[in-house]
Amino acid sequence: MVPPPAIESVGLTKRYGAHRGIDSVDLRVERGELLGFLGPNGAGKTTFIRLALGLLRPSGGRVEVMGHDVERDRRAALREVGYLPGELALYPGLSGSRTLDLLGRLHPRPPSLRDELADVVQFSTADLGRPVGQYSRGMKQKLGLISALQHDPPLAILDEPSGGLDPVTQLRILDWLGERARGGDTVLFSSHVLAEVERVCDRVAMVRAGRLLLDAPTAELGDRRMRIVQIEFDGPVEAERYLTGAESEHRVEGGTHRFVLSGSPTPLLSALADLPVVDLTIERPRLEDVFRGYYDDASVEAEGPR
Amino acid sequence: MSQIFLFSLWRARGRIVALTVGFALFELIVALSYASVDQNAVRQLVDSLPPALVALAGSSDLASPGGYLGSAYAHPVALTLQGALVVSMATALARDLDSGQAELILSRPLPVWAWVFAQWAALAVGLAIVATGGFVGGLVGVSTVGALASVDAAALAAVSAGGYLMFLAFGGIALLVATLAPSGGRAVGWAAGIVLVAYALDYLADIWTIAEPFGPLSPFHYYDPGVILSQGRLPATDALVLALVAACSAALAHLVFTRRELAR
Repeated sequence: MVPPPAIESVGLTKRYGAHRGIDSVDLRVERGELLGFLGPNGAGKTTFIRLALGLLRPSGGRVEVMGHDVERDRRAALREVGYLPGELALYPGLSGSRTLDLLGRLHPRPPSLRDELADVVQFSTADLGRPVGQYSRGMKQKLGLISALQHDPPLAILDEPSGGLDPVTQLRILDWLGERARGGDTVLFSSHVLAEVERVCDRVAMVRAGRLLLDAPTAELGDRRMRIVQIEFDGPVEAERYLTGAESEHRVEGGTHRFVLSGSPTPLLSALADLPVVDLTIERPRLEDVFRGYYDDASVEAEGPR
Repeated sequence: MSQIFLFSLWRARGRIVALTVGFALFELIVALSYASVDQNAVRQLVDSLPPALVALAGSSDLASPGGYLGSAYAHPVALTLQGALVVSMATALARDLDSGQAELILSRPLPVWAWVFAQWAALAVGLAIVATGGFVGGLVGVSTVGALASVDAAALAAVSAGGYLMFLAFGGIALLVATLAPSGGRAVGWAAGIVLVAYALDYLADIWTIAEPFGPLSPFHYYDPGVILSQGRLPATDALVLALVAACSAALAHLVFTRRELAR
């Protein structure tokens, strides 16, 4: 029997009066997947996560976590979840280790990964003994990550996990999460840092103004969207001789033509066959470019109430 | 649930210790001061006071050991010490929702009611400790001052129990307010306001016939330390009403909280 997906939302909607938190979000996160949940601040990422954890009640639709309907059986769902809040608020009077003890005891799974995680995020025993009130933001974030993941949850939901971390720790924790996902665990992490999503995520979901704009494998994003093309001709060539209608941002400097190509490159390559091409470069765009492209397109139609 | 209960108690430990010591010292000092009181002068003074001021003093028999000591348990200082603990502990829930600390706990697989109940139980224990402080302070005073020897420990315990039940009732109401309030700050303001309004209502009901029918609406109506000390026991009806208010308001708070959003 195929296990149910780690997270499945159908028509999930949350309204705050006239303000729309998220609107009819259908999202499926398979087990063993590492999903990057992208969007700018206020896009609805945290609202979606809080709905998935049963911290908020949906205005419409439903969400299941690890096969459990969150509204009906929230506790069963949360038994398999490790959660790092985006706005992490710890108890300043507690030491790091007492914080981990307290939060560890509130979970039925034993904190079997605590030492390993402390090593990954380079959190020393001496630091764990200090009151959280004395911690820097990065140290609090490290402690939050340990507390979220220490009980080896099959599903980790991390809201902006790299916030406040130094670059080395960011890479270490991202790589660790990648390893966990390859081992069968599921990770959903929200972020507005595209580079980290591109580095580790199998799939990307983008939200804007509470709506899901895109849900696709990371590797397919460039293919589906656009390429940056540079052609060097042996002398001046009129662009009209190869243009297929899928090009934009066209620039010509002497024999060098640069433009952005949307969709498949096959028609372009056919058109270039009879032209004096000296060099041809087709680059897949960075995730930032893709992201910007989607947002620019969506901004025309998706300006829903915020 | 025991983890959250112990943690809630631990977080309030500074307040509990300070208020317990403060309450004990206050009752002790008042009891010790009785040795220097000229009872006849006090009687003459009370007789000359308008009824409104006598009602404010909490007893018309201030010169007697029971009346004098009873007025100390109805004194604004004693009431404020207990009220401060109740308001601060009951509204911790709303403040934790504001700060985001609640999200850390409530994202764990716990029943939501357990979190509220643990806070409630911690409040009940914390208040019991503070009330015990007041009892011990009074008891040491009574044991030290010969003129107060007519006041026995059981009567003092009954006064402390009455005060405990009254503030437990306020604790239940404050917990309910905390589950309804849109922010921690408002929860504190509303809860403190309710205690003050209840105090004013009870006072007005004593001195103003128009307000008299509304007196029973105030928990203060069911707590009269002077009467308890003179009778040597806590009236069962008063104790029952206060316990019912405490239980019902706390139960309602649980019900409201399990139906509300758990994050702001």
